[in-house]
Amino acid sequence: MRKRTLQRGLTGFWWLTVAFLYLPLAVVVLFSFNASNSAASFSGFSWRWYHRLLGNEEILSAFANSMVLAITSSVIALAIGCLIGYGMYRHRHRKLGWLIVLIYLPIVLPDIVFGISEMAFFVQIHDWTGLLQPGLGTMIIAHVTFQIPFVALIVYSRFVGLDPTLFEAAKDLYATPLKRVVHFMLPTIKPALISAFFLSFTLSIDDFVISFFTSGPESATLPIYIWGAIKKGVSPEINAIAALMIGAVAVAATISLAFSRRRLT
Amino acid sequence: MSETITADVADQPGATPATAERQQEAATRKASSIEMQGLHKRFGRDTVALDGVDLEIQAGEFFTLLGPSGCGKTTLLRILAGLEEPDAGSLVVGGKTVTEVPPHRRSVNTVFQSYALFPHLSVRENLAFGLKMRGLPAAKRNAKVDEIAGFIKLGDLVERRVDQLSGGQRQRIALARALVCEPDVLLLDEPLSALDAGLRSQLQVELLRVQKRLGMTFVFVTHDQQEAMVMSDRIAVLNGGNIQQVGAPREVYERPVNAFVARFMGHDNLYPVSARHGDRLSTALGELTAEEGGEGELLLIRPETLDLLPGAVEGANHLQAVVAERLYRGSHAEFRLEIGETTLQATVNNRGRHLPDVGDRVTVVVAPEDLVTLGE
Amino acid sequence: MSYTGVTPTARSRAMVREARHLLFTVAPGASWIIVFLVLPSAYLMGVAFMSNGPYGLPEMPLSLESFKRLAGFGFLGWSPGNLYTLLRSLWQTLISTGLVVLVAYPIAYYITTCREKWRPIMLLLVVVPSWTNQVIRTFGWMNLLAPGTPLSGLAESLGLIAPNMGLYPSNFAVTLGLVYNFLPFMVLPLYAAFEKLDTAQVEAAQDLYASPVRAFWHAVFPQTLPGLLAGIVLVAIPAFGMYVIPELLGGGKGMMLGNLVATQFSGGANWPLGAAGAILMLIATFVGLFAMRRIGKRLGGGEEVVI
Repeated sequence: MRKRTLQRGLTGFWWLTVAFLYLPLAVVVLFSFNASNSAASFSGFSWRWYHRLLGNEEILSAFANSMVLAITSSVIALAIGCLIGYGMYRHRHRKLGWLIVLIYLPIVLPDIVFGISEMAFFVQIHDWTGLLQPGLGTMIIAHVTFQIPFVALIVYSRFVGLDPTLFEAAKDLYATPLKRVVHFMLPTIKPALISAFFLSFTLSIDDFVISFFTSGPESATLPIYIWGAIKKGVSPEINAIAALMIGAVAVAATISLAFSRRRLT
Repeated sequence: MSETITADVADQPGATPATAERQQEAATRKASSIEMQGLHKRFGRDTVALDGVDLEIQAGEFFTLLGPSGCGKTTLLRILAGLEEPDAGSLVVGGKTVTEVPPHRRSVNTVFQSYALFPHLSVRENLAFGLKMRGLPAAKRNAKVDEIAGFIKLGDLVERRVDQLSGGQRQRIALARALVCEPDVLLLDEPLSALDAGLRSQLQVELLRVQKRLGMTFVFVTHDQQEAMVMSDRIAVLNGGNIQQVGAPREVYERPVNAFVARFMGHDNLYPVSARHGDRLSTALGELTAEEGGEGELLLIRPETLDLLPGAVEGANHLQAVVAERLYRGSHAEFRLEIGETTLQATVNNRGRHLPDVGDRVTVVVAPEDLVTLGE
Repeated sequence: MSYTGVTPTARSRAMVREARHLLFTVAPGASWIIVFLVLPSAYLMGVAFMSNGPYGLPEMPLSLESFKRLAGFGFLGWSPGNLYTLLRSLWQTLISTGLVVLVAYPIAYYITTCREKWRPIMLLLVVVPSWTNQVIRTFGWMNLLAPGTPLSGLAESLGLIAPNMGLYPSNFAVTLGLVYNFLPFMVLPLYAAFEKLDTAQVEAAQDLYASPVRAFWHAVFPQTLPGLLAGIVLVAIPAFGMYVIPELLGGGKGMMLGNLVATQFSGGANWPLGAAGAILMLIATFVGLFAMRRIGKRLGGGEEVVI
């Protein structure tokens, strides 16, 4: 009897929490369709803020910057992280504690410390050498730095899950070192590579703090643009662009859900 | 999934005289001998895996490396495959020294204990992997894969995915994947150890027939002495990185050279010889006459050579005993007998005669020609 | 030893080959992280011990001035502004972590009581909001807490805030933002702990102890402790260094350490002071990680937390 009440109370609490989690997102999406530019009351449906987006060159260039940054950094991180993940696997019997510390450092370092130390460092190097002018280049370097560990850990765990004799079977069946990479290793870890790429891409698109401190005047990404717009004063246009980004995440979540369902059955 | 294994390949309609001829040719062309000299291998600072192994394996032989885990048999096999390089010593396969040749340039293939089928490839692609790596064009690859699939009776398994296969099916795919490359030597690393007993003995027979038909040199690793005796032309028993004895199964089982080999082959009746006068040996069991006892300090009595007579019967090589334990096994019965303070195992075939019970007094008859002595 | 006289060429050749392989695979990534993260962090630590020059850039000689200023000793004597910011960071971290635990604990438990096929979906439901950009999520709360919104109206009518003030900017808004942001980080490790719960122990405890509260305290709580502690570290460390949420929801009186640090690196400020603040965050990070490892080992769990 008492158990019933407890369970019912928990169910209520669960739905309250879900509402709490989705309320801010729902408000952003709702007000992106607001006919007036009030942030407090909804006064009818309209597409006008979305139409405005299309004409806003700053937003379009921020979108382009976000894409260039995310794709370039993910590709570089995939190559470097894949190598290091394989190295960690192949040499897992050695004492590689220092390497593990190094790999986890970008994950555990607070964003603000990460961003500021890179900014200070880049500025100093720029003073001395003229290299590393703040801009997309420095942002790519920073993003690759925090993407490498995730790629490395995903690739490493895929290799660890394999039967180690597969490597020997490939050698035994006349595969030269190069052919082993092309015909055995890369095809075998393909799922890990795909998921590592998408994770890197998402991390890059999502990042604000590190991008903010390593960016230059011409290299604002979408989150940086939104940040600036919020700082200048709330405009309903931001609701529209934010709603689009929430929509992208919703699509990703649905795909992920579909995959997890398939795995369950 | 049923494990239908039609073992006798020659009876099958697929095995036309033409393929038989081709295989005959393959046998004469492919079989290679192996010579190992002074092979040493050490892991880390002080784990000695091989401590100077000299061994010759003849072309077309079914040769087994037998021993407990850690005896060095797998290391030896891996050196043959090229997956491990010896610290010292040389290896000659088919007249060519291959000690430092990497595995992908050796005409030697391995059937791994875990089968090691590539999960990202279909069965057909797995079978064709070695041929593809050697640069054979797709049409020829397919023809060879179909041929081997017919030979090993894979049937429609070829078009499946690897994760749809049972253990026994995987084992046969792994065998076919190695055979299709037509290596000089085929290495098998405990290929049957993951299978249950029934399937295992079926596949033992099939493997043996495949080897006899192809005439290929097989080097087989196992820790199971029964399996080694069933399959092998010759057996090498290893312990502590050293070869203890090399010989045909009967030789190793009936004339083990030392206590280790005797115990590993399943013998328990070992008795120190305390004194000898000509062919008369004194042991804890009493005085026994051995026809050709040899010079060893341990007497081996094989349980299946003993006869049991009811009651007390006097005679030469007759021992008075009491039955302490009887294990009835249907086709035969195993007895633990007490002779004074000492125990003796005896195995008696069940020919429908009276079997003594626990507590019965019996007489054990030991035939002088069945007694051997061996070193420690 | 039978090896005397054997020249170990094969062995040493293999060792060279392996070492070269290790170098080839690991060096690019390791040197990338060293050059672009370890060196910059080391540089930042060095800056913290330098003096503040014109334009806020670091200068010789070395000094502990920045740390003194963080502790409340100003240029002209006692000026506790920085110290208050520091204390506010600690306080916000403490309060928000506590609230996150209070919400996440029953939620994680509730998910494990639901049917197995729903659990991954429920977890996804909890995690998905954190996939959207932090700036956007915080912006959503700005919309919700602004003056004139229903929530602000409610607070006003209850007399909690002055008329037309709105619920943000305020310390309350920052706490709310932190709780919102970090809730999933606590639910996941707690869920993992609840899922592994040994139900036999719980049933035994229900027999042993009369009240369900005591049964919970003796049988359930200790088993969830590793997950709880992991969650606390995952929440408290990044909360202590938070920048976006106090910047948008806090206003001038809601600043936290992250904002203090960031301000020192924008135009005409004080790099050494900012670097000193960053060092405090680094210390907090490593203390947290160290504590988690120690606790993990002592509880015999040592399990990895998957985010």
